[in-house]
Amino acid sequence: MKTKQKHLPLLALLLATPFLGNAQGILGGHVTGNIQLDGQISHADSVIGAADVPEKLLMNARADILYTNGNFSAGLRFEAYQNPMLGFNSKYQGQGIANYFAAYNGDKLSVTMGNFYEQFGSGMILRAYEDRYLGVDNSLLGLNVTLRPIEGVTLKALAGKQRYYWEYGNGIVRGIDGEVNFNSIIKSMAESKFRLTMGAGFVSKYEPDQTISYTGNSAFRLKLPLNVGAGAIRADINYGNWSLQAEYAHKGQDPSIMNEFIYREGDALMLNATYSQKGFSANLQAKRVDNMSFKSVRTESGEMLYINYIPAITKQHTYAFLSMYPYATQTTGEMGLQADVMYKIKKETLLGGKYGTDIHLNGAIITGIDTNRIGGDGTLGYTSDWFKTGDLYYADASLEVAKKLSSKLKLTCTYGYQIFNPIVEGHEGNLHHNHILVGDLTWKIDKKNVLRFEAEWMGSDSKYDKNIDDKRCGDWIMGLVEYNFTSAWFVSVSDQYAYRDGVGNYYNISVGYNHGATRLQLGYGKQREGLLCIGGVCRQVPASNGLTFSLTTSF
Amino acid sequence: MKKIVLSMVFMAIATLAMAQNATLPQNITIKALDGTSVQTSALQNDGKPMIISFWATWCKPCNRELNTIKEVYEEWQEETGVKLVAISIDDARSANRVKPHVDGNGWEYEVYLDQNQDFKRAMNVVNVPHTFVINGKGEIVWQHTSFVEGSEEELLEVVKKAAAETAE
Repeated sequence: MKTKQKHLPLLALLLATPFLGNAQGILGGHVTGNIQLDGQISHADSVIGAADVPEKLLMNARADILYTNGNFSAGLRFEAYQNPMLGFNSKYQGQGIANYFAAYNGDKLSVTMGNFYEQFGSGMILRAYEDRYLGVDNSLLGLNVTLRPIEGVTLKALAGKQRYYWEYGNGIVRGIDGEVNFNSIIKSMAESKFRLTMGAGFVSKYEPDQTISYTGNSAFRLKLPLNVGAGAIRADINYGNWSLQAEYAHKGQDPSIMNEFIYREGDALMLNATYSQKGFSANLQAKRVDNMSFKSVRTESGEMLYINYIPAITKQHTYAFLSMYPYATQTTGEMGLQADVMYKIKKETLLGGKYGTDIHLNGAIITGIDTNRIGGDGTLGYTSDWFKTGDLYYADASLEVAKKLSSKLKLTCTYGYQIFNPIVEGHEGNLHHNHILVGDLTWKIDKKNVLRFEAEWMGSDSKYDKNIDDKRCGDWIMGLVEYNFTSAWFVSVSDQYAYRDGVGNYYNISVGYNHGATRLQLGYGKQREGLLCIGGVCRQVPASNGLTFSLTTSF
Repeated sequence: MKKIVLSMVFMAIATLAMAQNATLPQNITIKALDGTSVQTSALQNDGKPMIISFWATWCKPCNRELNTIKEVYEEWQEETGVKLVAISIDDARSANRVKPHVDGNGWEYEVYLDQNQDFKRAMNVVNVPHTFVINGKGEIVWQHTSFVEGSEEELLEVVKKAAAETAE
């Protein structure tokens, strides 16, 4: 069992700081925090892919405690994984103080020492972030300074090492970023309909040299760049109902396990255009990513130590079958387009009826980039025609119609179509073509009692194959009934069943209680990993088979 | 031993500090939908109550909450002077979709982006939706996570109480 306590004296000092510096402020300070406890008592089930758990009980726990006194704040986070829940890396095994920081947030200056999270622009060159449900914490341990010398100007500088489970990665990450809002700094533009913000950032990582043999031949080694730089520029333009966001990033030579140690430089472009007015909006996104995996340790292939973040531009679906094949960005190279239209048919019209009707249309297509191979590791890797697309990775289209039928009934119907290429999850195979239908009916019986019904169907041309063992294949049906007594209590029962060409029967019953910022939930059954929205909240859940419990509270 | 000292320091702070309602954290940077940076100290409603709701475009219960309140928002404003501030925790993946989402739904709320989730962390938000009521003095007087139809009535009661306190 690992226990991390070496930072405790530092913490005590850190917490004592407000007493020393601002003694009269003690009574004005506040302690807040949140606690989370998740556990599962799981038994193995090869059919749904739940692993055998010799210790029977798996548990993740976490507590954040935050002390705030005026502009000063300090916090620490305790984490315990005894043992880590399914879906979490076994390197999390252990317990201790995972994160700690002290920060000053003034009008013109903010300084954080310790663990911090930061993002430059949309994060294409730097994003230190966490997702507690996915077990990702890329926080930087170091120093982060933000200056706001005049209104409309923000300057950031940081340096640190990235968290790697219970340790820190070997690489040092350093970055600077500046952003200017022209409407704030140019007086004549203050009231203008034309709003303009521009920014630029630069990030450099340093990593000591190491021996990486060339094409596996130990007689030769690669000459590795010890410092790798990445820069990005961005603009956010708004004019009345129109808005445009653009960001371009470029990265120097960065041979790593992610790009199989090639020396090609990387780049990425993201464009986003929106027209919107009350009751109508249209949004178009485009992106091209080429060799942009940027990690602070060149030999790390897992989910940790990413310095940057290249988001998927596909819609994040919430219904079970629509989100069964989530698309993950291929940081090594992809091109994508996404379009989204929302329209509200007005009340008291033929199609709108008494309450109006909401229509939501979305589509996305993602492909690989064109590549012409030059060589393997130690070479520039490949050349690429910027405008030419590669293989189809993913495409989807969905239409959602939501309508309030009466003061008590609300119906949402969704149709979705998806094409999924298993290559994005690293295995060969035919494309999956899926049709999905969802009906979601909410019945507000009275002020305190609410029933919700959900029915889903997925028809797919994929068939379950033991050798590939993709448990999502085949045709599925699903039903869910959820009963809420005020926002305090809920019970939900659901079942997902593969009725043709697939395997699996995921039945689940959940009971929950909410009071203020406290939530307790118990579940029994088989659970697929993914985004789960029941009992009035949404969260990511791991795969499980058996009893699960979850407690969260904020204070 | 160190552990004991640390816990004592904590207990001391906790006892002294928890006597009062927590206030909104100041000087955390969030972004308006036109890209302008805004400090959380600017979240004010002239001494009247304020609802702060953390949400995301992909969160169905959040959308149900904000759509439900939309139907009664004007009445609430007339009755209590309340203002609803919606803080989107969408990350780079969907942050660009927040503005079209808000307009497409016809929401009249003040909406900000908390992409780096600094505000979310400072407010100890774990799951969305998570809704706070702030009284006229800027104190957090109520919070709740989760939404189902009908629970907006409970929220209104809290807002009314906060408005009445302020009027005294």
